[in-house]
Amino acid sequence: MNNNINLKRRSFLISSAAGLSSLIFAKLAFTQGKEAVDLLNPSSPLVLPQNFTPSIWFTMESNGRTTVHIFRNEMGQHVGTSLAQIVAEELGLSWEDVTIDYPQMDYTTINTYGPQLTGGSWSVFEEFDKLSRVSAAARQIILETGADLLGADVGDCLVEKSVIKDTIMGEKISFSEILSETVIDYEVSEEDLKEVNLKARQDYSIIGKSVKSLDIPEKINGSARYAIDAHIPNMLYAKIIAPPKRMGSRIVSVNDDEAKKQVKGYITTLPINLPDQLLVGGFMTHMPLVIASSFPEAMRASKLIEVNWDNSACSTQSSKEAELEAFSFLKQKDNGKIFWKVGDYEKARGLDNVREIERFYKTSMVAHAPMEPMSALVNFVDKKLHIYAGSQMGTMLPYLFAQFLQMKPEDIIYHPHLIGGGFGKRYEIEHIIMASMASIQLKKPVKLIFTREDDMAFAHPRTPSAQSLKSVLRGDKCIGITQSIACANMQLELNPFFTDMLHFPLVNGKELKTDDAVKQETYTLTGSDNWYDIENQSVFHHRQTSIEKTIPCRAVRSVANNYTVFALESFMDEVAYEINEDPLSLRLLNLRGKGVNKGAKKSDPLPTSFGGGKRLANVLKIASGLANYGRSDLPEGTSLGIAASGAETRYNPSFVACIAQVAVDKNSAAINVQKLTCAIDAGIVINPDGVRAQVEGSLMWGLSAALLEKMTLDNGHVAERNFDTYKWQNITKIPELEIHIVENGIHPSGVGEPATCVVAPAIGNAIFNATGVRLRSLPFSREELFEGLEKQV
Amino acid sequence: MAKLKINGKSYFVGNEPDTPLLWVLREDLKLTGTKFGCGGGYCGACTVHVNGEAMRSCRIRVGDVENAIITTIEGLDPASNHPVQEAWLDLQVPQCGYCQSGQIMQAAALLAENNDPSDEDIEISMRGNLCRCMTYHRIKGAIKKAGKEIRERSV
Repeated sequence: MNNNINLKRRSFLISSAAGLSSLIFAKLAFTQGKEAVDLLNPSSPLVLPQNFTPSIWFTMESNGRTTVHIFRNEMGQHVGTSLAQIVAEELGLSWEDVTIDYPQMDYTTINTYGPQLTGGSWSVFEEFDKLSRVSAAARQIILETGADLLGADVGDCLVEKSVIKDTIMGEKISFSEILSETVIDYEVSEEDLKEVNLKARQDYSIIGKSVKSLDIPEKINGSARYAIDAHIPNMLYAKIIAPPKRMGSRIVSVNDDEAKKQVKGYITTLPINLPDQLLVGGFMTHMPLVIASSFPEAMRASKLIEVNWDNSACSTQSSKEAELEAFSFLKQKDNGKIFWKVGDYEKARGLDNVREIERFYKTSMVAHAPMEPMSALVNFVDKKLHIYAGSQMGTMLPYLFAQFLQMKPEDIIYHPHLIGGGFGKRYEIEHIIMASMASIQLKKPVKLIFTREDDMAFAHPRTPSAQSLKSVLRGDKCIGITQSIACANMQLELNPFFTDMLHFPLVNGKELKTDDAVKQETYTLTGSDNWYDIENQSVFHHRQTSIEKTIPCRAVRSVANNYTVFALESFMDEVAYEINEDPLSLRLLNLRGKGVNKGAKKSDPLPTSFGGGKRLANVLKIASGLANYGRSDLPEGTSLGIAASGAETRYNPSFVACIAQVAVDKNSAAINVQKLTCAIDAGIVINPDGVRAQVEGSLMWGLSAALLEKMTLDNGHVAERNFDTYKWQNITKIPELEIHIVENGIHPSGVGEPATCVVAPAIGNAIFNATGVRLRSLPFSREELFEGLEKQV
Repeated sequence: MAKLKINGKSYFVGNEPDTPLLWVLREDLKLTGTKFGCGGGYCGACTVHVNGEAMRSCRIRVGDVENAIITTIEGLDPASNHPVQEAWLDLQVPQCGYCQSGQIMQAAALLAENNDPSDEDIEISMRGNLCRCMTYHRIKGAIKKAGKEIRERSV
């Protein structure tokens, strides 16, 4: 006989960190267990105990297992493991009792669970507090129930490893036993959540522990399921024919006579020309879809199909042209659009006894190039659209697709799959929309696979940038800095669900709310709004719409930080050189957390930036100490360089510093990065080895971008179409990594991206210290270094 | 009709002889652990063993491997307990994991030939296996660990 325990009826709604309201406790009114039939004895039905689902975030089963539901997409960051650790900690579970799942998402998901975007290094940052509180509340319920069953006083009982213990009588009851014997019926109020007893940090036993990631076992035996592995019997295959220009090519006619003759499994080609409004911002492109009964046959057929294109409306811009335009913007009198201002740079410039220096930097386009090319399987059946794909914004797909396909959100269901590398690329949806259109039209399941060449032809690279950095120097002091950035916007604001992409400029820490026209796309410029206490600063943006008309530039791992921080941190060293100051000393002098750089208050709803500039100084000191900064025993041509930043943004910074040890062969100009030393402070660390893995990957990503990666525009299209021309880091010549993770109990930030942005400036500064040659463009060019070395001789 | 010997089983497939082995494995035989990365042999995600040698299945025509002994990640070890897989788990190598089947197959082939590889041996063998999450340090460490395990087992 089941016990029914009626706790106080309390119901509530709370807001998720990202702004949308979300129900975090399920409303439960069960009084009976569900019935199941014992097949061996139909006359005696078996009554199974109810699952206990105290919140929408996890389900506790009577067999003792708790499943944490993960709505962020797994793409290598082991996000499910981190989130499950938070739940297990506050719930008082034994880690062995925890599993995760990735539920399908429909039109209700976003309202129930919030947006759950996987990116921006947001997942733990946004979920930590909510999951901690909801799990702690559930622990209290279990504790009260267990104490009741033991006949003990709640105050005498404690929760440990999925067991309630009566500390007076020594009796125990496990969660499994409680849920087998009891059906718990309750709702909880928002007030209760605020009052929950969160564990003290020193009592953590699962948070802060390097438990093994739950998603790894399936990734070493071939059983992990990525979008490209999805399969439905009798599905058709689709391959695109990439247009001759990146944006705006229009299909005039298609001739598939040869394909029909020569390829047995060839079925048809769908020439998809879209309404103009769908092309805005490069979210969609006209393209022919070659349909066949197998993918090799689709590939074979696509080579035989002639497409007549109209390119009259297309941009023919090259990278060189974009660069010339950028420099012309930087050199004109107009300052561009203000993004960040502290003090008054112009006034500082007008003071007596000052001088101004200016340096120019540029960075190339960089591709996401995830190992898994874009792919999607879509099945339109019984008027429902089933999407089998990997997306960094799964909760939004029903609403986005409803707009693109003129369907109802209710009819669209997303089945999440593992992502074979995200880095921002899987915010893109056009491949899924194309597969959807094909499935709707052909009334069959359709699997669209991009070849690598297709994937690169549909690149969404980081914008190229050119930047001017100026400084006002008075004696041996830097009293002002201005950073002007010429680049494309990412145009994320065109996505109707990314409503918070445009922000008012910040002037002395306050929003400059004149009118909407002054708003800027924050993620295009972030990183330039730095943590230095330099009293007069301005950041301006020169938007290059010509690039936006040529190629859709988007968020690539750590987004703007990789160009803004490169320029700023290189320039800090140049300023130090000009005023004869040590680069580390100059930074520390200006990282004292003054004024706007104090960071959040501990009592703020999201106190992630608590400590501000002082925490950046701290990681800089730690990394410098570990690297033995200032050492004089390095051989000729070998030196250290430093860089630091608070990425991703001032709102959710992980404070990170990097010291690069670089040897330059002065005869050949070969750059040998020997060691990267990194200190990172991302607040509370959920899984230290997971953090370490992300930082290792980030540092290597930064290295690859610094030395190798370059995507170029040639006559309006991407020049590099596979890994023979788009070069990136392999296992050779990899530097030693030393990583220190600061633990300080402050609300957690993210670790998937921030460490990428400090690598290139640290290397560039080390090259200068080793050779006296300053490299100001990414990727660093050995030819440029060679010329610089020759000039010195 | 071609007869393929894969992971100890025989399969008859009806693909055109010039069809890349990769697509036969993935789409016809549903052995999806072998991954498509570039189609040009640049990335190593599709690495399988053909008669014990690590090869890129995107560059192998199915008509050319009739009667060859083919091993994919699914067949490397019946219990997924190959020393390379154990080391991969122990050092938590995979991030997104997409390239790791190819990495593991390449590493297993290396260690079958040389169970005590130097850093340079590893770099030469593994340089064609790209990892976009850049897990290279752990890959190196795991190969050395697996090599040690193999040496100890063979004593």
